[in-house]
Amino acid sequence: MMRSARAWKAGLTALLLVGLGTCAFAQIAVSEFEQALRAIPVSEIDRYVAAVELVLNQPDFPAVEVFQLIERLAMTPYSAQEKEALLFDMVVAMEDGLPVDGLVTKGLEGLARGVPVPQIKQSLHQRLILLAETRDLLYAKGIFSVAPGSPQSVPTALPTPRFNLLVTHISDTIADYLEGGGSPFEGQTLYQEVRFRLTSLEGVTLNAEDVDLVLKRIEPADMTRVALSAVT
Amino acid sequence: MRQNEIDEILRDTLRQEVAETTAGLVGLEERIVIELGERRPRLRVSGWLRQLLAPTRGGRIGQLSVVSATAAICLLLGFFVANQVGLDGGSPGIRLTPSRTTNGGQEVLFVLPALDATDVSVVGNFNSWEPTALSDDDNDGIWMASIPLPPGRYEYAFVIDGRWWGQDPLADEYVQSYGEYSSVRYVGGGDGA
Repeated sequence: MMRSARAWKAGLTALLLVGLGTCAFAQIAVSEFEQALRAIPVSEIDRYVAAVELVLNQPDFPAVEVFQLIERLAMTPYSAQEKEALLFDMVVAMEDGLPVDGLVTKGLEGLARGVPVPQIKQSLHQRLILLAETRDLLYAKGIFSVAPGSPQSVPTALPTPRFNLLVTHISDTIADYLEGGGSPFEGQTLYQEVRFRLTSLEGVTLNAEDVDLVLKRIEPADMTRVALSAVT
Repeated sequence: MRQNEIDEILRDTLRQEVAETTAGLVGLEERIVIELGERRPRLRVSGWLRQLLAPTRGGRIGQLSVVSATAAICLLLGFFVANQVGLDGGSPGIRLTPSRTTNGGQEVLFVLPALDATDVSVVGNFNSWEPTALSDDDNDGIWMASIPLPPGRYEYAFVIDGRWWGQDPLADEYVQSYGEYSSVRYVGGGDGA
């Protein structure tokens, strides 16, 4: 009986410790980011920390993944300049209010595959351009983003997380297409790729009305224009 | 001795030899057949292979047998794998169809046949590209892991003894990443895919 009670106590303590550990890991403080950035080290530490502070509380900011990327990057045998160059695109995206999920996961994949850091940087830079161009395309098509909870000025103004998901998936599809050797001039094929990606996620992570709205407003020629921006 | 006596002796001698020889030939054919049957030559592996690969009619028949046997083994292996992963829907084995989790996601099964592998894992954007081990508890070369995933689109690859393999036959699509293939699965949605 006594032994059983002890076992329960030990089990509960272990569970509590694991729980606390998980919470501590999930809530990464700005100071921890700063420490990780200093390990690289980056030249403009204040700018990097400010960029993290800017987006850390946003619901769709992948804090854990960004932190992992910085930590893993610090361990690679490349020069501080090369490592910083990779992170720089991330910081630019954060400052510009662009979603960084796609960039982070591509960066982590590249490191896991043992791809040279300058090559990862090249891939991320192309993706950064595509993110910005895709967002601008949606703006040009009258699809906007509003902060969650803010008044919706026009019916096509979507809450930022929903808008960002669209930007991420459209730009990622174009980036994957180009990385697979596709030509930016094949606008129709690109459009079909984007349509497939968005409809596959319709009702899964993307709002069905948002997908419908985007597919009605974008055209194959738009896809070519966005893709060309990343290769020229 | 007169000539006719000599002839008589020669005739008798010849008759005797013929009679002896003939007695030895009685049942000879039958004996040969029996003996041949008992001494059926055994082909060694090298001889068997030579015959198998020979461009004779018999050789071609041998090749056909090998092709048929290979096809049969593949079919049996297919049925076995299907039984293991529950492709037929009615088997009590592990099902490929993902089961729902509480967050609307699914238990997604990653399966890979890797007969000679000693270490198989899966890496993807669901685990920050850090390996999650697959297991082969019954040592049949079929490696598996069931991972609960929230709804979304997941890129992944298998790592077989340190070598990346991004073309999972069960993937919904493939993308090229850094010059290599990655598999993609869509989790969630109405069709349970």
